[in-house]
Amino acid sequence: MNTVFKGEHLLPGQIGQFFIVLSFGAALLSFISYYFATTDDAGKADSSWQRLGRLGFYVNSVAIVGMGTCLFYVLYNHYFEYHYAWAYTSRSLPVYYLVSGFWNGQEGGFLLWAFWQGVLGNILIVKAKSWERPVMTVVALSQVLLATMVLGIDIFGKRIGSSPFLLLRNSGIEAPIFSQPNYLDFIKDGQGMNPSLQNYWMVIHPPTLFLGFASIIVPFAYAVAGLWQKRYKEWVQPAISYALFGSMILGTGVIMGSFWAYESLNFGGFWAWDPVENGSIFPWLTIVAALHVLIVYKNSGHSYFTATFLVLISFVLVWYTSFLSRSGILGESSVHAFTDLGMFWQLVIGILIFLALSIFVLVWRWKELPITKKDEETYSREFWMFVGAVFLGLSCFHLIVVTSVPVWNAMFGTKIAPPADAVKHYNVIQASFAFVITLLTGFTQFLKYKKTDITRFFITTGVYFVFAILVTVLVVYLTGVYRLNFVFNLMMCGSVYSVIANGKVLADAFRGKFKLAGAAVAHIGFGLLLVGSIIAAGTSKIVSENASGVVNVQGFDAKAGNARENIMIYKNTPVKMGDYTVTYLGDSISSPYHFYRVNYKKVDATGKVVEEFVLKPKVQASRDAGMASSPDTKHYLFNDLYTHVTAIPSEGFAMQGEAGHDEGNDDKNYDEPVAHEVAIGDTIRYRDGFMIVKSLNKQATVQNIPLTANDVAIGANIEVHGRDGKVYNAEPVFMIRGGNVFDFARKVDDAGLKLRFSRINPENKKVEITVYQQPQNKRPWIVMRAISFPYINFFWSGTIIMVIGFLLSIQRRNKELKTV
Amino acid sequence: MKKSAIFGLVVIAVAIAVIISVYSSSSTYATFAEAQQTSSELHVIGHFSKGKEMVYDATKDANYFSFYMKDNKGEERKVVFTGTKPEDFERSEQLVLTGQMVGSEFHASKILMKCPSKYTQDKLEVTEVKAKQASI
Repeated sequence: MNTVFKGEHLLPGQIGQFFIVLSFGAALLSFISYYFATTDDAGKADSSWQRLGRLGFYVNSVAIVGMGTCLFYVLYNHYFEYHYAWAYTSRSLPVYYLVSGFWNGQEGGFLLWAFWQGVLGNILIVKAKSWERPVMTVVALSQVLLATMVLGIDIFGKRIGSSPFLLLRNSGIEAPIFSQPNYLDFIKDGQGMNPSLQNYWMVIHPPTLFLGFASIIVPFAYAVAGLWQKRYKEWVQPAISYALFGSMILGTGVIMGSFWAYESLNFGGFWAWDPVENGSIFPWLTIVAALHVLIVYKNSGHSYFTATFLVLISFVLVWYTSFLSRSGILGESSVHAFTDLGMFWQLVIGILIFLALSIFVLVWRWKELPITKKDEETYSREFWMFVGAVFLGLSCFHLIVVTSVPVWNAMFGTKIAPPADAVKHYNVIQASFAFVITLLTGFTQFLKYKKTDITRFFITTGVYFVFAILVTVLVVYLTGVYRLNFVFNLMMCGSVYSVIANGKVLADAFRGKFKLAGAAVAHIGFGLLLVGSIIAAGTSKIVSENASGVVNVQGFDAKAGNARENIMIYKNTPVKMGDYTVTYLGDSISSPYHFYRVNYKKVDATGKVVEEFVLKPKVQASRDAGMASSPDTKHYLFNDLYTHVTAIPSEGFAMQGEAGHDEGNDDKNYDEPVAHEVAIGDTIRYRDGFMIVKSLNKQATVQNIPLTANDVAIGANIEVHGRDGKVYNAEPVFMIRGGNVFDFARKVDDAGLKLRFSRINPENKKVEITVYQQPQNKRPWIVMRAISFPYINFFWSGTIIMVIGFLLSIQRRNKELKTV
Repeated sequence: MKKSAIFGLVVIAVAIAVIISVYSSSSTYATFAEAQQTSSELHVIGHFSKGKEMVYDATKDANYFSFYMKDNKGEERKVVFTGTKPEDFERSEQLVLTGQMVGSEFHASKILMKCPSKYTQDKLEVTEVKAKQASI
């Protein structure tokens, strides 16, 4: 049956699909041409294969940009006939989030990766000179594999890749409307973007991360090319520059992700050891390790194999990470992995191709590799840098072993579960590695290449070490880190030592040895980052632990009892929480967000308000009534106060704020009314306080009801004193109009009251005030959690300092590159 | 013996230590009946019993949430979680609890839910809630 569908815009998809096929074909052409340019035209200055290879690569780059343009066009115009637009965006989504909708799906992620790889490839074509042919062969191979990931074409009955231009009606979702020619009339809007992704960090974090992943190809390609072309020593120098660049960008991308999680997710922290997070640092750890041994090799001729191996494995790990997060294998162990798009085996093949290539070049050239037979000196910089790199590798090894538990289960048919307290497991073991590594980044600075004067080394190291211990003792006592597991104190000591020792190098750098500044700055940044992470994560304090108003539940063991981290607060009822008095002021809606205003007040002993601010944690309601809560954080220089809403009344949003406009039902929200007969000046008591009838107002007016001369309207001025000493005024009105009696109730929402002026008794000159009181649990409330993160700014600023260090190093290495 | 050989041995020793520590701290997927046997924390997979009582009343205790879960063997137990009720809990198709048995109740410190994704109909979405903030 051939149905002609109405209203579809098939052209952008067809052009996009054409670009996908073109990019695949061009990459393949480029790969083959560069391969023959390297082998057949070796030594020839002018090679037609090389020209063809370049042409293929240019066409590939243009096709990738074309693909992106088509995809953006589809998203921008809300063509929901495309699965990608329908699944990840909606009409109400602002344009800048359409950009992040672009890489919301896996296909967009691959596209981004291919784009950056294309950019790097073009840079290499310009800059690589004699290296262009072999290096570009490897880059083009990677482009071919990435293109297959978005191909979305059936070959031999098997779908290869997943295309972003898949039509909704072909996407496998079964619905009767797809048999109607006008099915698009029923699809008014897309599914919309997951609220937690609607954050400005999601606009820049993925591109940075993918540039980091993509840039690992360059040192990899140089290593393969070096072994292939038997230029064993020459590839190291350019690889160092690109490895520096890769480490810098990848590190920045990872920390940006962590900042996004901290600012807009609600797991209460900046790092959770989620498998996907771990995956992003596998290649970072190995490329940083590789960087160090590459420098060792360059300066001393040692550690050639380790350096090559680490460079090669880094790129294999990039693919392994993609496999972990995209194949669906993590299943129930990760919260933000993608589900399988049917590319499980395709991703496995991707890993295997690069793994096989790495093993092949190493085995092929094994006998010729410039591996030194002689041992390094014990007191030499190269030996300890090598040790440090190996420990970085071991730290990565541990992360891989634990994170890959689902992979082991799939491979060996076992049923092992990840550690029950995974976070603690990772923290303790990784802190041990961090201790060794930071210690090495410290004392290795006092060693020289080849040979060092031993006595002098021990004296300087010792002096700085004693100084570092003193500083550490001070820091751990002031921040409370000493209460944690001992290993975190060791890690703190190592980090402090690293900062101090590298501080000395930096001081020397200013006195002339400017070459060393980059490494010193990067090490200082890394040390500060670790210091910040120990203090912030280790001594973060739950502020919302006050137990007032909490009924203790029987049968709770002490251990679980410690975990009461959430606090319920009623609107306008201040609660003491740590140093703060916290009041939930109310809520407001600014679509699609629902803000909850929470007032924090710090009062000193004399009752003076020292500090006052309002935080607005928000909850985003999505169409299906789901809720995504985002924190709001008060940033201080040395401390952050983090607040987020964890529960709201189940009546949901409607109940908050505007409680019941429906008069008939409204009384149900209150307890049985109580009528009081009072005279002016009398006091009425109610549960939370009292009220005084101040006076009667004979000229009362009621909105929208014009009064005539025959009408009588009397208002009762009532002053309500709430529990917290707050005073409210209300004027319920009693009215006689056309012989009928009316009365207009007034609400004091904040006190949970409704007051009626229900009767006038002319005989004893008394009036009747009927008091409606809300039962406690009908009053608006929120449940929130507040955490304080001390010294977290060390973590962020450490990152920035580290990036500056990387930049200085890149500059230095590039200068060296020109002089060689 | 050469220094590199000694160092190689150290590296191998550390690697083995890592594997042993991972293996010893790894947990198991179990049923309620198995959880009853031990006092250590483990993971139980199951789905929540729809018709049964589910308690979360923030006005009484903002940190008490209880419900009933059937494990994969069909055994049903009351589960207590010290925290707020996770959003969309009713829609979950599968639960993975981390915790231990206390008497006849299972006290969960972590709940991992698999829900049909709100954003893409054909996919499952995994969310995790912890009773305690991660600490070191």
